[in-house]
This record gives sequence, structure tokens and C-alpha cells, in this order.
Amino acid sequence: MKIKFLTFFCLAAVLFLAACGKSDADLQKAVTDKLKADNVAGVTAGVKDGVATLTGEVADITVKNKAEASAKSVEGIKSVVNSLTLKPLPTPVPAPPDPMLKGKVDEALKKAGCTGVTIESKDGKIIASGTVADAKYAECVQAIMQSGATGFDNKIVKGK
Amino acid sequence: MSLQEKYQTILDLANQNGTTYELSEGEGVLHINGTAPHAEAKQQLWDEYNRIDPDYRGGDLMLNIAVSGAESAGNTYTVQSGDNLSKIASKYGITWQQIHEANKDTISDPDKIFPGQELTIPGA
Repeated sequence: MKIKFLTFFCLAAVLFLAACGKSDADLQKAVTDKLKADNVAGVTAGVKDGVATLTGEVADITVKNKAEASAKSVEGIKSVVNSLTLKPLPTPVPAPPDPMLKGKVDEALKKAGCTGVTIESKDGKIIASGTVADAKYAECVQAIMQSGATGFDNKIVKGK
Repeated sequence: MSLQEKYQTILDLANQNGTTYELSEGEGVLHINGTAPHAEAKQQLWDEYNRIDPDYRGGDLMLNIAVSGAESAGNTYTVQSGDNLSKIASKYGITWQQIHEANKDTISDPDKIFPGQELTIPGA
């Protein structure tokens, strides 16, 4: 009788454990450890019924996505609710005064061999027009974007 | 869709290829200011930008990527053991012929360069 009872008890215990898998607390620890291992900072993970919820404020969208992927990769996590918010971005460094900015861009374009591009500078933004050879086009765009302008209205035409 | 979402693949690439960057945003324009470890990494970011916004006409991104000092164009490069011109050229996103051309005085045979030899790296 005693043995029968024990056998039944053991079977029940095994079935119970197999059905439940890891507890939420175990999963929460596993997710937290995984985030740490993947160098994801500033994220708090909570787990309920196998669903992980991520909260906190992170530097940019790549961290938000990485955190979600890390949490999803933990065995036993059914789904992830990504409630992470992005840190508000600072405003860009102001552009130099327009005449100076125009001078800077003109020089950069000259250095890159972008003849044929005409620029105008207005409130820190560059408005560029004219025609450049297809092969030079990307280089000319780069020269303008690297000049410190806060905006770029690109009307440059790609020539042959 | 936020600008970060629109251009997130550029940021993913930057994280993968070792480009450090800072973001700022104002007047509907996202600024990515960064430093790439070599010219090839910078080119990858610009290629991705061109894929998202062909010909860069959206006006909502300013991509400003510098190449870190050690491997920027116009510098000299000291040949390491195991180097060849093609390998060095790929670090700068240029061709081995361009390096050969810029170093005609010191390289007589492009197959023969020596560790410790200093090469002028022409602009890409």
C-alpha cells in the first residue's frame, strides 16, 4: 500500500514538474542574466506566465531591438512585450553662421572635385542644385553632409 | 514611423562594423555623427543609406561619418608582416593600383613590399 502510494506520488510530481517547466521567477532570472551577458544596460525584465515584459529607457532603437531579441532567445519565454522607451535625443549642434557655412561647403565641394554644384545656405541648411557626374554624386552629397549643416535640401541632378 | 526606426539598419550596421556614433534630432532631421574604423565601414553605412533613400533626397537624415585617424586616406601606412597591396587597399576602400601609383618611387615591383616599409595612402 505504502509503495503504491509512493509510486503514485512520484509520478504525480514528475508530471507536475514537466507540465509547468521553469517558474516565472526562474525565467525572470534567466532573462536578466541573458540581458547582462549581451551587454544590454538599463532594461528591467519582468516575467508572468512565461511572457517577458521589458521596461526602462534605452539609448537608441538598436538597444531596444537587441533587448527584445535577447529576451526572446531565453528558453521558456513564450513572448516578449517590449515597453522600452527611447531616450529623447539632444538637438543637433547649431550650424555655423550662413556665410561661414556656405564657405565651408564650397571648399569641401571644391576639394571633392564637385564642380557644377551650386549651393545656398539658409538658417543653417544647405540647398544644393546643379548637375554632377553620376560617379561623383555620392561624394558630393557626403561632402555637404559632413560640413556641419543642420539640414540639406538636395536638388542636385545626376548627369552622365 | 520614427526616424530612428526608418534608419535603424544603418545603426545596426554601425554597431556591427565598429563605427561609434552619436544621435541628435531637430526640425525633422536625424543626425548620425560617427567615426568608422576604416573607409570600408563608412562605405557600408552609405550603401545602406542609399538603399533606404535612393540618391539621398529625403532631407530627414544627415549622415556624417569620419574615418578614424589611423586609417584615414592621405596618411602613411606602415607595412605589417603578411600584408600585400590588395589587403592594405581594402582597408581604405581603394584599389592596390592606387597605392602603387602613389608610391611609384619606392615600389618597383607591386608584389614585393616589406614589413616596416612606409606607404603613402592616396585619398579614396
